[in-house]
Amino acid sequence: MAGHGRLKASLLAALLLAARQSRAEAAREGSPWYVPDHAAMQLAGAIGFLSAGPGWSFRDDTVEAAFLLGWAPPALAGEDFLTFTMKGQWRPFRLDAAGWTVRPLTVGAMLSYTVGDDYFAGLPSRYDRGYYWFRTALRPALLLGASAGRPVEALNLRLVEGYFELVATDYRLVQFVRNPATVNVELFTLALGVKLRF
Amino acid sequence: MRVWVTLLLVCAGCGAFEFHPYELRGPHRDLHARSLERLSAAEPKPAFRFAVVGDMQLFLDDSAAAMRDLEERGVDFLIQMGDLTEFGSTQEYDWGVELLSRLKVPFFVVMGNHDALGKGQKLYRRTFGPESFSFTYSGTRFVFFDSNSREYGFPGDIPDLTWLKTALTPEPLVQNTFTFSHVPPGNGDFDDSLVEPLVKLQEQKGVSISFHGHVHRFHDVFAHGVRYVTTDSMKGRSYVVVDVDGTSVRVQRASF
Repeated sequence: MAGHGRLKASLLAALLLAARQSRAEAAREGSPWYVPDHAAMQLAGAIGFLSAGPGWSFRDDTVEAAFLLGWAPPALAGEDFLTFTMKGQWRPFRLDAAGWTVRPLTVGAMLSYTVGDDYFAGLPSRYDRGYYWFRTALRPALLLGASAGRPVEALNLRLVEGYFELVATDYRLVQFVRNPATVNVELFTLALGVKLRF
Repeated sequence: MRVWVTLLLVCAGCGAFEFHPYELRGPHRDLHARSLERLSAAEPKPAFRFAVVGDMQLFLDDSAAAMRDLEERGVDFLIQMGDLTEFGSTQEYDWGVELLSRLKVPFFVVMGNHDALGKGQKLYRRTFGPESFSFTYSGTRFVFFDSNSREYGFPGDIPDLTWLKTALTPEPLVQNTFTFSHVPPGNGDFDDSLVEPLVKLQEQKGVSISFHGHVHRFHDVFAHGVRYVTTDSMKGRSYVVVDVDGTSVRVQRASF
């Protein structure tokens, strides 16, 4: 009886998996690889007050990449900041319950580029080689977060997902490693966002 | 899940959102004006003591140790010689200010080349005030200026000698004059064409000590009628204590 139950359970799981896979495949069918399968909009996270852009996910949404354009207005940040960001993330776990899909762990990295004459991506000629070991226009960061989402059929969306990210930018990481007693919890700032998965 | 909630709360409690590393945001504004207010509100002392602290950059834990050590020294105020930060980011400005505020005395910060990176110059002005400023305390004149010539591509007016000339104009009742700037004259990052004029000007105007940072190494020399003192970085675990009593000035290197 127990064996029968287990068989039924695994059959069900296999069916669900197949159904999900076929749905995912169906969504991409006919679309070339470069057509994004989701869009993200984010608040804060050192890349703007608001940032938004397309994203691509692979392997049943466990691996994804995104490209964001961020802006912080003078009224909120004291100056205009325009930032391009590339993000890569890995979301190894998935829990499904009551119509929700939860990804309890997201780890990732991003690299942002700030537009403007005040920043440099290559060392300007007035400096000798190695004068500064970092580039003020380029900002790498590590990400740690989680997300939860559910389908919204009315909008024809596979998932509408809310997420948060703890962002550790290069200068926070470097200062934290060098000065753990002083920097302490300020290693992270918070980003909140929404992803629409087509 | 509980871990996430805790982390979220920790973040929310400490200025959780950062819009940009160089954002001009945060609670610290016009700190030099406030330090001056505190100094002028205090009873004037004929004899006083101040500390000169070097580059803090990536050495924040060492700087925290310096502040603890300074508590024992009974200084009336503190001067940080620039490179408060490594990347010139808003957060590092805040960390620096928080560290200097641990010692409950007024403090002043010279602008270093690292502090000018990105929007650093604007951040500096917002946080502290203009890079060039001066004040008189108990018969001693303190003159601060920007000597990060290379940072601006050697424009020819960094340091601003015209401003400096006015700031160094002799005044009655001023017994000593000290100048403070990050890059010492003669260093490769100091405008070569301005070294001689500056050194001459300081001599002419009777500057007694010219204080600097930048090279991360303690140095104490007498040249062209002026004493040139350069501080260690905080990594070097030393700072300088200056005792002024009338025209008598004593400079001590304090290790911690």
